[in-house]
Amino acid sequence: MTSIDTSASSGVRRALPRPGFSLALVLRGLTGRPLPLIGTLLVVFFLVVAVLGPWIAPYDYAEMIRGAARQPPSAEHLFGTDQLGRDVFSRVVYGAREIIAIPMISTSISVVLGASLGLLLGYVGGWLDEIAARLLDSLLSIPALVLAMVMLGTLGPSPLGIVIVIVLLYTPIVARVVRSATLSLRSAGYVEAARLRGEGLGYILFRELLPGVLPALAVEAALRFSYAIFLQASLGFLGLGVQPPSPDWGRMVNEARGFYAQSPWALWFPSGAIALLVIGVNLLSDGLRRVFRREGQM
Amino acid sequence: MRRFVALFTLLMLILSIVIPAAAQDAGNRLRVGVNTPVVLDPALHTNDPETLLNRSIYDYLVEVLPDSTIGANLATEWTIGEDGLTYTFTLRDGVVFHRGGALTSADVVYTFNRLKEVGSPALNLMGSEWEVSAPDAATVVFTLSAVNADFLYGVASRQAVIVQDGATDVNILIEGDDPYLNFNGTGPFILEAYDPVAGASLVANSAYWGGAPAVEGVELVFIDDTVAQVDALLSGQLDFIFKVPIAQVDRLDGAAEVVVLQRSTSQHPVIRLRTDEGRLGEDVRVRQAFKFATDRDALNDLLLQGRGTVGNNDPIAPVFEFFFQPNANNQTYDPARACELLSEAGIGTVESTLYVPNAFEYADLAAVLQQQWAAGCINVDIQIREEGYYYDTSNPDNYFDVDLGITGWGARPSPQILLREAYVESGIATGFNESRFVDAELEALVAQGSQTADPEARREIYRQVGDIFAERGPIIIPYFAPLFGATSARVQGLEMAPFPGLTDLRGVSLSA
Repeated sequence: MTSIDTSASSGVRRALPRPGFSLALVLRGLTGRPLPLIGTLLVVFFLVVAVLGPWIAPYDYAEMIRGAARQPPSAEHLFGTDQLGRDVFSRVVYGAREIIAIPMISTSISVVLGASLGLLLGYVGGWLDEIAARLLDSLLSIPALVLAMVMLGTLGPSPLGIVIVIVLLYTPIVARVVRSATLSLRSAGYVEAARLRGEGLGYILFRELLPGVLPALAVEAALRFSYAIFLQASLGFLGLGVQPPSPDWGRMVNEARGFYAQSPWALWFPSGAIALLVIGVNLLSDGLRRVFRREGQM
Repeated sequence: MRRFVALFTLLMLILSIVIPAAAQDAGNRLRVGVNTPVVLDPALHTNDPETLLNRSIYDYLVEVLPDSTIGANLATEWTIGEDGLTYTFTLRDGVVFHRGGALTSADVVYTFNRLKEVGSPALNLMGSEWEVSAPDAATVVFTLSAVNADFLYGVASRQAVIVQDGATDVNILIEGDDPYLNFNGTGPFILEAYDPVAGASLVANSAYWGGAPAVEGVELVFIDDTVAQVDALLSGQLDFIFKVPIAQVDRLDGAAEVVVLQRSTSQHPVIRLRTDEGRLGEDVRVRQAFKFATDRDALNDLLLQGRGTVGNNDPIAPVFEFFFQPNANNQTYDPARACELLSEAGIGTVESTLYVPNAFEYADLAAVLQQQWAAGCINVDIQIREEGYYYDTSNPDNYFDVDLGITGWGARPSPQILLREAYVESGIATGFNESRFVDAELEALVAQGSQTADPEARREIYRQVGDIFAERGPIIIPYFAPLFGATSARVQGLEMAPFPGLTDLRGVSLSA
């Protein structure tokens, strides 16, 4: 008796197909074309550097080697040394950790919060949606860098402060994207069916609707991640990021700027690293979008 | 789209003609690259660009010469009464304000009373225990209620430019046909145009009492980035810049058509600990540990490329040659001794935060100190703050409140001034004694210094002051950095002042 019931209900679900998210499909899409492949390789490369940093770097990031200030790149110092005699290669390697970890953590939080909010607003609709959507719009109208400067100026620059700023900035953006994706799915057959079955709100949002918005969410998350990297580098450059001597790439660029005539390498390598990482993440997110568009899911 | 392209091309064409024309039209005008002035009121301004602007439009009663002595300006002579309480100034004849009216003693009296009224920083040196009066049109008399050996320096404060009697809106831009009406001085240059973001144009005052300046005018070009100022000088768009970062000096040294200027000054960073109850530096052994954990020679080599002079534990700078002690008994770098002192003090390892303003090479200074101190059982986190934010005492963690910080002290014409401002009990109320260092012996010596005019006797006082700072003072002066500036090769007769905004442009000329 029980077995018949189960097969019947699963029969209903099978009869109402819904969009999904296949990892194998995504991987094939990303590696099948040259540009997404380059993006993926770059991101993986920087992730590996970030994880293995302490084993790769020959020196500590804060170590000042006496009598070795402003040395050009050599076998001993691959990227040369900066104005205080610190090994630029080691600093770039250690810096990968920070510039990936902080944006990744804050983007993840924004994605979780923004997706939940977007799903809820898109599905529930009505006056709640009207009010919340206008609130989100007003948050979006604040220029990112200005908000970041005001907040970090008052909170004091710290990694936690940057995470809070990024979450505040990106949660509304993610929520808006997810909300509009949800709007187009809320009247889909399988959602209707779940509602008729008497499923709870949580089940409908996260089991029925979430898989459908995942493609849009994945692309948005990758995009937000690349913007967050840029924002963190900009804040570091402005002196509002993490504090010295931590090897923040943006701060390194700012510090090296005053010495660019004498030790330009201290400027090239961190700026090159920022550029490569951001290009990598952008190519990756572009690749994701292509994959989903081809599958007709975006 | 085609119309857009055409418009764009046209715009570029116009810009390519206009911009070089504007840049090359230097002629016989001195082009000075400065940071943007913020406070224009002469009585309240503080920084170099503001001083340079005011000094060009106005005159002083007496002025500080580049060698730190006092010279005549609107006053041709002055006498000090035997009791040291009366200063009598005789005014120059034939001085006229730009907008008409001869200079009289009433203008001078008005100017100095206005300094008191608005609470000018000039009072730091003058004190406020004085009255000013005008027995006749050409004489001004100051009557003091206590002797002040630095009173003349106070009268020559960079805020004390002479404005016309009754001028209330000094240096306020107004709407209408005559926007510069309120910039009315007796000085060598007359303000012709002022754009708060781009720059100021001044034209030579042909009726100047000292004879018209040799240049036709002065262009102050506002560039807030010091590296960009260097670039502009190197590319021939400027004639004079000052406060060049040390890192840029190498670039200028090697350049043709550029002359590098160097001056010793009393400007210096102070690494300081708060000494009041419950604070990090309450225990003298902790203060001494910081001194042993700091390698001053390495700091000078690394941060100033050896161009500075290593400092002692007191604010008396090498520029005051006679008073400076080059062979002072400074603590040599000994991190083990620092650890010892800290464990004697029952602390073991210091854990603290070092606050640093984002100015000069101070962020790098903090990074190096962090490394040096770590070997001496002192672990610090670094917090860099925007300069304006950090020095504003209404903000949390400002320079006056924090336990441990670096403060940049600007040049002062006399060592006595710093001692009186920052290292006596009254300095706590005025917001200058940031370390809250109060020492009865030091207090007595500083008071004695204020009343001692004889240099030999003063030197002996400062030697004792130095000993107190070495033994129990709360500050470390890592180095005294020289001040760098540069001019284009066509500039002649320019002597950069230790406070570079005070540089006298009257005698400057330009070769063809």
